Amino acid sequence: MSNRIHVMKFGGTSVATSEARLTAAMKVISAKEKGIQPVVVVSAIGRKGMPYATDTFINLLREIDPSVEPDARELDLLIACGEILSAVVFAHTLKTLGHSSMAFRGGQAGIRTDGVFGNARIVSINPTALLQSINAGKIPVVCGFQGVYTEDKNLPGGELTTLGRGGSDTTASALGVALNAKAVEIYTDVDGVKTADPDAVRHAPTLKSVTYDEVAEIAHLGAKVVHPRAAEIAMTKKIPLWVKNTFSDEPGTEIVPKERFPGRRVTGVTHTGKLVFMQFNLGECNTEHRTELESSIYQTLARYGVQLFMLNVSPESIGFAVPRDQYPIVEDVLDGLVMPLGSGDSRVIYVFQLGIATPEVETQVDLLKSLGEVRKVHAKLTEGCTVVSLVGHEYMQQPGVFLNVMVALEKAEISVLQTSDSDYSLSVLVPEADTMRTVRTLHEKFELSKIE
Amino acid sequence: MNAGNVSPGNGVNPSELSAAVNGFNLSQIAETDFEKRRGINAIEVRTGYTQVHVTGLQSPIASSRIQVLTEVANAGISLDFLKLTPTGLSFIIPSDKTNVIQKILQDKSYILDLATDRSIVSVHAVNMRDEEGLIASILHKVISAKIPVDHVADMHDRILLICHNEFAAKFESIIKKELGLV
Repeated sequence: MSNRIHVMKFGGTSVATSEARLTAAMKVISAKEKGIQPVVVVSAIGRKGMPYATDTFINLLREIDPSVEPDARELDLLIACGEILSAVVFAHTLKTLGHSSMAFRGGQAGIRTDGVFGNARIVSINPTALLQSINAGKIPVVCGFQGVYTEDKNLPGGELTTLGRGGSDTTASALGVALNAKAVEIYTDVDGVKTADPDAVRHAPTLKSVTYDEVAEIAHLGAKVVHPRAAEIAMTKKIPLWVKNTFSDEPGTEIVPKERFPGRRVTGVTHTGKLVFMQFNLGECNTEHRTELESSIYQTLARYGVQLFMLNVSPESIGFAVPRDQYPIVEDVLDGLVMPLGSGDSRVIYVFQLGIATPEVETQVDLLKSLGEVRKVHAKLTEGCTVVSLVGHEYMQQPGVFLNVMVALEKAEISVLQTSDSDYSLSVLVPEADTMRTVRTLHEKFELSKIE
Repeated sequence: MNAGNVSPGNGVNPSELSAAVNGFNLSQIAETDFEKRRGINAIEVRTGYTQVHVTGLQSPIASSRIQVLTEVANAGISLDFLKLTPTGLSFIIPSDKTNVIQKILQDKSYILDLATDRSIVSVHAVNMRDEEGLIASILHKVISAKIPVDHVADMHDRILLICHNEFAAKFESIIKKELGLV
């Protein structure tokens, strides 16, 4: 008898309402009736703002006192409730449809992690309980996004941990490996991996297959259809991984190893969310001071976990973009930051200024003047911009690719503020207002509507 | 029920699995190791590049940049790490194309500055974007070590930095020493 297990993971929108859950449950039942042994993984019910979504739980603590950070351990215990609730509701939905089911927390499903609360990594899975459940004729429904950490394997219990970004996808992929599943299917509300955001390109085709590197780069550059952690686990262990739509019968996209996709192509156009680009003018600093200032900027951003996009270095300046929702952190820690450097005659007091000087920064500069020479490190801000990227497979190194992009965008009268590229992508920083037009222009230029 | 000791990394053996699913031999189920550890897992140095700076382009600058890119593309030369500068652009080409580029662009009276003997240093870490602050930490360490960085780019699993060949080895050792390899 061959292995007939399929791991079927349903994301937030697929379990958000009773109608959606019913549709998802019917997918599971349909698979079972075809002789497949389904193992279900679920995310929390709904997305941001909904009653049982992860963010709603976090807000319960924030509302008590926003200035007090919750402990990571307690936060994990709290937000894991979303998936527990979702798994129980889904299992009961299956039961009402005549199919015996059993809900499992991550730990009950045998998922053991390291001890990093909020961003744990799976270290092992003992799928015995899941197999017993299947053996008993039940459909296991596992909470995504969570596991358990025990310092000593032989001790009972353990600490509940959550897996961080892409956690439920990761759970599904890891269970697929542990169960040696025939396939891992990630169900979402789109037909698979598309060549562009359908909001920008209405009839953007769905890719039949995409390589792990492509999907990881697409996620890196803003469009997370399947999380790279999940893709990586499945690829490493050679478990077929699919992205499918809960609400349609389209075949979806298969994520394949590079070896199965010889040749070059442009895969798609993706875009990030809203960014703020900042260019720090360091032209007036001597080399020694510049090194310390640059180093300090990066060290501060690292300490606060700020994500950087579109890094840029030139003899006069450094630049990068940060997500707009992280900009207040950057502003808090850098605007008005005072750094005295050097000693004696070479001593200079640097004051950071982001964008237009605030009265506070001006006052600070005036007060510091009595202590020595004061120089501003001014960052020019470009608020309201986005990175649009062309993602490709063995394509970006072709002569003329940059030229084609720049010509197409100039014809469309889209200003390119900066560019960046790597082995798999070519990115342009454009005004946010032009995001969708840039996506459409590149999609058309590279004839992505003809791709398969 | 305790798990048996099946080799890590291979998941459940299919024959054990089917037996298990049919109610036999559950004690033989494997535990499996999964995700790569977080952090830097490799550093790679590629030598043999030149950084080309073209400056003093005429307005409208966007059209002038396109003219430069057209010359490069017509010569069949692949470029990487394109960066727009206030008066022009810069990019990286393989060293063996340096003379060709120099001739083509100087023939058209472009102002050129060629930074030869460049290396691309790639610092690899799985799913870099989700390791908050990692990119900034790498840059902090490199800059603190007074290594002049000509350009930076990033991918899902690596950050790429351009520097002079003479700094590449120092770069590698600084990252290994300061941030370590997993």
